[in-house]
Amino acid sequence: MEPTLRDQLARILGGSTVLPGHGHEIDGITPQAVVRPVDRLQVSEVLRWASSENVSLLPRGGGTRTGLGNVPRKADVVLDLGDLDKLVDYQPADMTAIVEAGMTLTSLQEQLALGGEFVPLEAGIPGRSTVGGILSVGSGGPLSYAYGLPREWLIGIGVITPQGVATKAGGNVVKNVTGYDLNKLYAGSLGTLGVIVEASFKLLPINPHDGTLLASFPSQADSIAACRKLLHSPAAPMGCHSVTSGVSRRLQDSLQAASQGLGLGEEETSLSFAFYSGRARATGRRLEEAAALLLAEGATAVQRVEGLAAKSMLRWVTDIPSEASNSSALVIKISVQSRSAARASAECGDVLLFGEKPEQMADPGFGSIRLFWPEQSESPARGVDADQPVLDAVQKTRQIAHRYEGSAVVEQCPLPVKRQIDVWGDPPDSLAIMQSIKNQFDPRGILNPGRFLGGI
Amino acid sequence: MDFKRFLKGLQGIVGEQNVVYHSDDLLVFEYDGSVDRGTPEAVVFPSSTQEVSRVIALAHSEGVPVVGRGTGTGLSGGAIAPPGGIQVAFPRMNHILDIDTENRLALVEPGVINLDLDTHVRKLGLRYAPDPSSQKACSLGGNIAENAGGPHCLAYGTTTNHVLGMEVVLENGMVVNLGSLARETVGYDLRGVFTGSEGTFGIATKIAVRLLPVPEAVRTFLGIFPDVESACTAVSAVIEHGIVPAALEMIDALTIEAVQKVSDAGYPDDAGAVLLIELEGLQDEVDEISGEVEAALWETGATQVRTAEAEEERELLWVGRKGALGALGSIAPNYFLVDGVVPRTQLAQVLARVAEVSRKYDIPIANVFHAGDGNLHPCLLFDERQPGALDKIVEAGTEVLQVCVDAGGTLTGEHGVGLEKKEQMPLVFSEDDMAVMVMVRDAFAPDNSLNPGKIFPDGKKHKPHAHPAHSGMPA
Repeated sequence: MEPTLRDQLARILGGSTVLPGHGHEIDGITPQAVVRPVDRLQVSEVLRWASSENVSLLPRGGGTRTGLGNVPRKADVVLDLGDLDKLVDYQPADMTAIVEAGMTLTSLQEQLALGGEFVPLEAGIPGRSTVGGILSVGSGGPLSYAYGLPREWLIGIGVITPQGVATKAGGNVVKNVTGYDLNKLYAGSLGTLGVIVEASFKLLPINPHDGTLLASFPSQADSIAACRKLLHSPAAPMGCHSVTSGVSRRLQDSLQAASQGLGLGEEETSLSFAFYSGRARATGRRLEEAAALLLAEGATAVQRVEGLAAKSMLRWVTDIPSEASNSSALVIKISVQSRSAARASAECGDVLLFGEKPEQMADPGFGSIRLFWPEQSESPARGVDADQPVLDAVQKTRQIAHRYEGSAVVEQCPLPVKRQIDVWGDPPDSLAIMQSIKNQFDPRGILNPGRFLGGI
Repeated sequence: MDFKRFLKGLQGIVGEQNVVYHSDDLLVFEYDGSVDRGTPEAVVFPSSTQEVSRVIALAHSEGVPVVGRGTGTGLSGGAIAPPGGIQVAFPRMNHILDIDTENRLALVEPGVINLDLDTHVRKLGLRYAPDPSSQKACSLGGNIAENAGGPHCLAYGTTTNHVLGMEVVLENGMVVNLGSLARETVGYDLRGVFTGSEGTFGIATKIAVRLLPVPEAVRTFLGIFPDVESACTAVSAVIEHGIVPAALEMIDALTIEAVQKVSDAGYPDDAGAVLLIELEGLQDEVDEISGEVEAALWETGATQVRTAEAEEERELLWVGRKGALGALGSIAPNYFLVDGVVPRTQLAQVLARVAEVSRKYDIPIANVFHAGDGNLHPCLLFDERQPGALDKIVEAGTEVLQVCVDAGGTLTGEHGVGLEKKEQMPLVFSEDDMAVMVMVRDAFAPDNSLNPGKIFPDGKKHKPHAHPAHSGMPA
């Protein structure tokens, strides 16, 4: 009898690092094994083996975003990088750090805080999200307006190629044009080009003071319009978010202490968050000016929180996408030009699924909007196609995103729907170059096959 | 290939007057700002994306390599034509196509001069942040190719952090869009990896860049120090206060001597180093931090501290730094500029080792650099008329790069590898590392016909030519 993949892996790495795949289903597929290498050499060995045996590998960090991407063509083995979790080097005076990919964002930030610094990466569930996972997804959070995406902070990277060869790009200096900037290529590549094992980051000093404004508005449109005004004022925040009542209600328990008197829970209420950070005096002045501006722009109530409470508020908002997805049938993130955020939000608000409008979380500065359609309240009658309405909602949302020169990524949907679509949307005209890059890097297609844009 | 027929083809695309091919006319296209030289067979001035596409497609079908050329201010030989190649230059594609104040972005053609864009948008309360010191002359197309930096990149990042999207022409003439006007796009970040690819992936014909609001307040500090070591300590002290200035620049004693010869920067005779710090932000934030910066400068041994907030006064403080490279002409006819980067904490030790190289080769080295991000610019001074001088300089320059790499740094922070440093790439990258890079190039340009012979070592030693210091582009 042929040895199972699990047996083969156990023979290469030793039994303790290989586990059964049960409980690690990805889009309905149960992998045959989960392998958890203890160091980079083992990562190389796994890749070399997978490459020669044509075994597909799904790299995994904290497993917080494994639902992102198309249904894999093949999912033989999950490559869990959780044991590569060391801080390799951190010199506070250089404001750079080198870290292994499996380290969680929380433990990295804790280490950096000892030096008075932080890395401007943002992720939901940071106690589980890993550096490598955050880089592979490549997305930001509530402060993307100020900090951009992880790509902006990544200065060097260590990657094991699909053939098992250890390579690097960039370095550990904050300014570097030596060779092609592969950091940018790997960030956001969803683990399809190689396995990230190490990353160097440019850091920032922790600001001494944080402040957040919460403002309630009669509608999401009012909320977004006010945020746009604020972003273009001298009291501009580092980021703004407008969330609809369903989202804010969900957060109400955690927000209660801070948000009393905001009139939350009323119909058609939208809540704006504006995040500030800096020196105490200047931050205080901006919070004051911003509060006045938001009231003048129609806020029915404004509340100001500072210090730790402001930090917690930012934490909650960062977690919204993961929290709200739990009870959603369909989650789509659209990215448009920021000036179109208000119109795109209004139009998306009219896309109904099972008769319900989507809840929204909009970033009017960065130009991204997450849409959460709730699960169907009653199970569909027999014989009724439950997939078609979801497909229709996806289609309509995409049309809106395209109208504003943007994209729409389906982050979550029922599996039968997922099997029928490319969750990344229509490919751009540069798809051929992307496919060619993939073919050059991973000619056998062993890494996350089929999960990325255009079947990459 | 029938070159005459090829020329006719080019003329047919862009018009006769927009193709230069007489050897006299080509002389000015032999150079960039570095020590390399190479004569193109022809230089073409297209006026539209379509013309660029047709020119490149024609060259591709004839097997002629093509190099995009901005304004020739590059410092690594990036725009130098390979043997038998042509250059495509963009003086006619120099239009600002759109300024979108709501989205804070500008859509420009590649020939737009960096400073022209900045000046234009400042009237609207916005700025284009990357500011290579050649910004009065360099073009945004060239900035994209080299991922240009500049003093203010310390706080705002380099070109790559400001490019949203672009339209590019590939080696076969195909036009594709990379990135988008939205901040986030799907798929691989091709716009990111294209930026800094030194013209080997394609030629950008339209570029969308982010604009930032002009800060409320700007304050510049100039600190005079007895030596480079104490000035480096000041840099660390400022950073330790949790301050990231907009710019943090330094010049050393030899540079000060040169500056004093040609301009009145007003430095004292015994100044061993001058440190320039610029703070930007909200007025009360700048006010608050200013006290800390000033205290840090005095505590680390500054003998003089000057500050200015009004623009004209700030310009005066910058005079010495901005004119530094040009001033080197007063003490030597030529210089060779090295662009190594090291971790900031290594600055003092690395400068000491650079001084050792200077003594070993008996070559004066003047240092003008971006201290905040550890980007050195040691200038090796020499006279090209002395036999063997240039070979010695290149050898010493390589040794300086080795010093940077040994200190955990790298070959180039903002000038690019180009021709100049390609043979030094193995100091930093393994064969495997470079093989991966070449795979990306093969995806964009499988025939390697755009700017071939750059970046990667091929054993072909380039023939450097001396660069006259007095005409030097600031770095």
